[in-house]
Amino acid sequence: MKTYSIKEWQFSAYGFGNLMETSNRVDKMKKEGIREIVRKRYAEIAKDKSSCCDSSSSCCQSTCDTSADYSTSVGYNEEELKAVPEDANLGLGCGNPIALSSLKGGETVLDLGSGPGLDCFLAANKVGQRGKVIGVDMTPEMIDRARRNAVKGNYKNVEFRLGEIENLPVADCTADIVISNCVINLSPDKERVFQEAFRALKPCGRLLVSDIVLLRELPKSVKNDAQAYVACVAGAEKKDKYLEIIKNAGFQDVKVIKETQFPIGDVCGDIDSQGAQRTSKKGVQKEKNYVASIIVSAVKPKNL
Amino acid sequence: MKKKLMDILACPIDKFYPLELYVFEEKEEIVEGMIVCPKCSRWYPIREEIPEMLPDELREEKDEKPFLQKWKEKIPIKILNEGKPFNLKG
Repeated sequence: MKTYSIKEWQFSAYGFGNLMETSNRVDKMKKEGIREIVRKRYAEIAKDKSSCCDSSSSCCQSTCDTSADYSTSVGYNEEELKAVPEDANLGLGCGNPIALSSLKGGETVLDLGSGPGLDCFLAANKVGQRGKVIGVDMTPEMIDRARRNAVKGNYKNVEFRLGEIENLPVADCTADIVISNCVINLSPDKERVFQEAFRALKPCGRLLVSDIVLLRELPKSVKNDAQAYVACVAGAEKKDKYLEIIKNAGFQDVKVIKETQFPIGDVCGDIDSQGAQRTSKKGVQKEKNYVASIIVSAVKPKNL
Repeated sequence: MKKKLMDILACPIDKFYPLELYVFEEKEEIVEGMIVCPKCSRWYPIREEIPEMLPDELREEKDEKPFLQKWKEKIPIKILNEGKPFNLKG
């Protein structure tokens, strides 16, 4: 005779088993749907010769004229940008993690969501020939663009691979530092991303992530908007939750080392004009300080 | 892809390490080849020098089967018959 635990019995007796399955499936479909939207959008950005600043669906402020202007506004200096192939900068970041990373020669760097390769190349200049940089991105068009940039810039210590940051194709305890720039907010499974980053890091390895977080709940109209998702806001977590996810993955010394707050309109012009208007009618605080870009540092403990 | 990269590559699904490498075409770097996880029998193509290490749900049969066909003389029989997520038998 088959025995049931109370939970199983209740679920099967009331037919909840199927319901649970359906809801998991819906959840999975939703996650996969988001992934597809993100992949498609970033493929378009990679193929497009113009900078992403021309588009309201990218991560960047609509007020800037070029990718270089935008990138200097979020923390890159002109010298750094001159030292890498111009094509590597599509103005997709929201901070400059490399500038704050204290990278040493010979270190191994892993970049989650490497895009056209900007941060990888900056890191490669710092770790030198003895070090190596691995960029992982799930968009073939971005990887293609990054690879061409590596050839153009004659980078021998940078490798790109097509992969997913929730399922890193990297062996345990191999990276000295994991960086990521304005990418993890796009993942529907942020817990998994930080667990994977933790796994890939050596003991005492560092995490340095620049990302978009929310300071308050977004209006529903924005949250449900797929365009807002690729503009890095609808997928973003609340700041305290984001930091908690990093701690829960096992990291220590989780610190916000830089924070810039800005109105929602700066990251998604079009969506804001509808979303924020609707919100203001409801009397909810208008667009002020919904969003912040933060740079977070954390360490994988030496002894687990 | 450089051969040295195999030092840190693991299967994205079960994190198994080390993985097996089959080189089909090589210039300065490996241009075309295959990375195989001996634990779960998953294979990952190297195309235009890039290792494509995506999980199953982001891979499409129509892109992957022609790759198996193209290199079937050089791919281990076990992968041709039982490789995941696609093989030439299924």
